[in-house]
Amino acid sequence: MRILVGSIAAIVLALTAGARAAEEWGIDHEKVAQFTARVVDVACALKGDCPANCGDGRRQLGFLSDDGKLRVAAKGSTDFAGAVHDLLPYCGKTIEVDGLLIENPAITIYMAQRIREGADKPWIATTRFAADWEARHGKTEQWFRDDPLVKEVIAEDGVLGIKGLAPPVPK
Amino acid sequence: MAGKWKMAMLVAAFGAALAQAPAQAAGDAGARVQVKGELVDTWCSVTGIMFAAGTAHHQCAVWCAVGGIPVSIKDKDGNYYMVLRVANDDASVADKPFVRIQTHEVTVDGELIQRDGVKYLFVNTVLDDAGVVDLTHEEYGVAPFGE
Repeated sequence: MRILVGSIAAIVLALTAGARAAEEWGIDHEKVAQFTARVVDVACALKGDCPANCGDGRRQLGFLSDDGKLRVAAKGSTDFAGAVHDLLPYCGKTIEVDGLLIENPAITIYMAQRIREGADKPWIATTRFAADWEARHGKTEQWFRDDPLVKEVIAEDGVLGIKGLAPPVPK
Repeated sequence: MAGKWKMAMLVAAFGAALAQAPAQAAGDAGARVQVKGELVDTWCSVTGIMFAAGTAHHQCAVWCAVGGIPVSIKDKDGNYYMVLRVANDDASVADKPFVRIQTHEVTVDGELIQRDGVKYLFVNTVLDDAGVVDLTHEEYGVAPFGE
């Protein structure tokens, strides 16, 4: 149910990205956080191992603020997808981001919901993963069920991850 | 890519005794550690938006890994270690080896860097891959959506 609510919230967010602040999800330790920071390759920021163009989409990206804070962009607004597709075009650039900062005592992560290049630029919802996926594979309602790699892995190991172990019948 | 994990398993065969050693306490940036735990999709597991462990959540963990959400190792104490590299493979977004072993219980040796509330892990060696061991589907079904 919360996934459904989240999906609806993401759609609403995409439609109204220019008009309202980040959508709250009611997650423990979350707070709406809008800030300006540079888009960075996280491994590069940590170890100085820096391939061109932030790894061309192969590496996790995050935000490095002027105060030195590094935040991982763990999630975008496409269901079950991160924010790398949204942020990669801004590798090394300073942008404004709006979303949810989740400061769980076990780990801090950030959900980027919308971004813009400056205060005079429009907000852009972080839904580029879905758009890029459909450009490669065609129209879908649920990319995660239609994705070729997902299908390959689930076909081999099963829904439960153990060959030959059947999932329970939904009640 | 799968060869990387096979090589790691060969290392495991010769390093079983090492794998049983107690994990080094998480320390300063760059500390060498051994970590044992389940490979999880960091978003679902941390946020609690659904049940997100073991067999019940395996399919969703695959979805999220393919979607580029960071993969972490969650240990028995609830610590998350976000994996940014495995051996010479520095891909950490939708990386096929990651995708294929979602939900597996693994033991790894690597370098730990802690910064701003995150334990980042650069894995040098996978010492053991026990497969999926947390059988949660009988209680929780398939999360989310039930199928």
